[in-house]
Amino acid sequence: MDRRTFLTGCAAGGALALAPGLASAQTKKPVIGLVMKSLANEFFKDMQEGAVKHAQERGDLTLLPLGIQSETDIDGQIALVENLITKKVDAIVIAPADSRALIAPIARAVKAGIKVVNIDVRFDPASMRKHHIDIVFVGPDNRAGAKMSGDVLAKALGAGGKVVIIEGNPGAENGVQRKLGYMDAIAQGKLDLLDSRTAHWETEEANTVFSNMLTAHQDIQGVMAANDSMALGVVKAIEAAGRKGKIKVVSFDNIPAIQPLLQDGEVIATVDQFGAQLAGDGIDAAMQEIAGKSLTGWTKTELKLVTAPGS
Amino acid sequence: MPSSSSGVLVRRILREAGIGLALLVMVLFFAAVAPSFTTHENIANILTQITINLILATGMTFAILVGGIDLSVGAVMALCAVIAGTVLKQDSLSDPEAIGLGILASLLVGMACGGLNGFVSSFWGIPAFIVTLGMLNIARGGALEVTNARTIYDFPDPFNAFGTMSLLGVPVMFLLALALLGIGWLVLTRTVFGRMIYAIGNNEEAVRLSGHRPLVTKVLAFTVTGLFVGIAAIVYMTRLTIANPILGIGFELNAIAAVIIGGTSLSGGRGSLVGTLLGAAIIGVLANGLILMGVSDFFRQIVTGVVIILAVILDSYRARLSLRG
Repeated sequence: MDRRTFLTGCAAGGALALAPGLASAQTKKPVIGLVMKSLANEFFKDMQEGAVKHAQERGDLTLLPLGIQSETDIDGQIALVENLITKKVDAIVIAPADSRALIAPIARAVKAGIKVVNIDVRFDPASMRKHHIDIVFVGPDNRAGAKMSGDVLAKALGAGGKVVIIEGNPGAENGVQRKLGYMDAIAQGKLDLLDSRTAHWETEEANTVFSNMLTAHQDIQGVMAANDSMALGVVKAIEAAGRKGKIKVVSFDNIPAIQPLLQDGEVIATVDQFGAQLAGDGIDAAMQEIAGKSLTGWTKTELKLVTAPGS
Repeated sequence: MPSSSSGVLVRRILREAGIGLALLVMVLFFAAVAPSFTTHENIANILTQITINLILATGMTFAILVGGIDLSVGAVMALCAVIAGTVLKQDSLSDPEAIGLGILASLLVGMACGGLNGFVSSFWGIPAFIVTLGMLNIARGGALEVTNARTIYDFPDPFNAFGTMSLLGVPVMFLLALALLGIGWLVLTRTVFGRMIYAIGNNEEAVRLSGHRPLVTKVLAFTVTGLFVGIAAIVYMTRLTIANPILGIGFELNAIAAVIIGGTSLSGGRGSLVGTLLGAAIIGVLANGLILMGVSDFFRQIVTGVVIILAVILDSYRARLSLRG
């Protein structure tokens, strides 16, 4: 506060000594705060590393990557945004832990003149309207992606195929969208949905949940898992039940650990959303905004269906 | 021989001063290395960011002083929040009615869960650790059941406004937490109930033998813990502008950490709310300062862990000191 008054005073006095200082301030690289979710999650860690590499390659900005302790630490993420506002960064690129709770602090950032780009999970449009902000979203269409993956299973099983869904975290927007995509595929392929439960994105829990499903429904023919970590647990349960090759699995994320299962044909499809590039795309959008361009709406990023070689 | 009461006072001040000094050193360090640390905005940020933990830790101090612990506060907070949120969304109520009833619902749910924790653990003599671990699951499952895992949002504007209110540049939610801490301090130091809490924490058997029944005091102490959880839930909702059944995961650990760093003994009977305030401040300053320095999140967690252990080591010296005194 004091420093600002002092600077204004100097500027008003037209102090020549300050001129070089101002010039260097103008050529200073813009600072972009990258607010991620839990960096203990490999997906976000990859995304962050991709972003750091991308920022180095560009060389025209300073990146401050920040993460929270766990996926559900909404308060921690609000605190990060508040701290970035205090630091007066030029732009914030954020993967929100909640699509509504982060809107209020983000609206404060916008008010403070900070450019904001939304990645990964999209802010709720109605909440944005309420706060009179329109923030550009750079990210994949999870629903469309899950539909592509689900369609492979529908084709493999044919109409009437009996399937179950293993869901992500209840309330997590990408989890909700992926379930909707799978439901789209089920409706279109006229599959028979026996059960749908959450395994909180976790391998171990998916193993337990799916084992119990298999006990309850002996006739399951296919599984749609909302991410690859859970698909790993599902495949283990299928093998333990001696049903290897009889139950087909489709999934989402294309993590390295899923590759051998794709080769084996135990998992017949997954979707790559190029997570490592996502934050980099967000940074590019933020740099465009800093340069004076105004972005709104949804910039869809690439999704690629990855199928087993045999199918 | 100098008056022994002044000797006790001096020792007590030294005890508090030790934690205060640690906080001061930390503040001076961050002020030196992170230029934006001492700005008015950042100090307001820190105060906002420690508010929830301060409220929870104030309540937790009651449970720990009486010789117990409450592992369920994070989950109960979620249950309070989703029930309050459901009340807030009743269309048949006007805004003031909905806000009033929502707050009431949260406080009642918190007190009921806390009271139940206290009753079950002291009536059957089960360690509070186990009982509250059970309550953690009951409350988390209850919160998921009530909402069917959905987020509740779009609360009345005056309700949400509380989360960003400030008075002379100080966040109002922090002032509320401070006022609650003050009331708690008066209760612990100036009432019979407060003295009984310390007495039970020190030696429950002695209290029983002297003809008092510890059960009522223990149930009430846990009910106070629950009341503070209910208050924290409301304040947290105004900050998030939403309520969801997965909020508050792990908050019990931060609250316990604040109490322990503040010098309250985990075995009960010794400690104070002034210490809890300093403990919560240390955790908040540490988190904020390390972020401003650009320290990695993983390292931040390591530092917090080291501070907790250092605090307990310090506490063991203090315990020896007071035994000798």
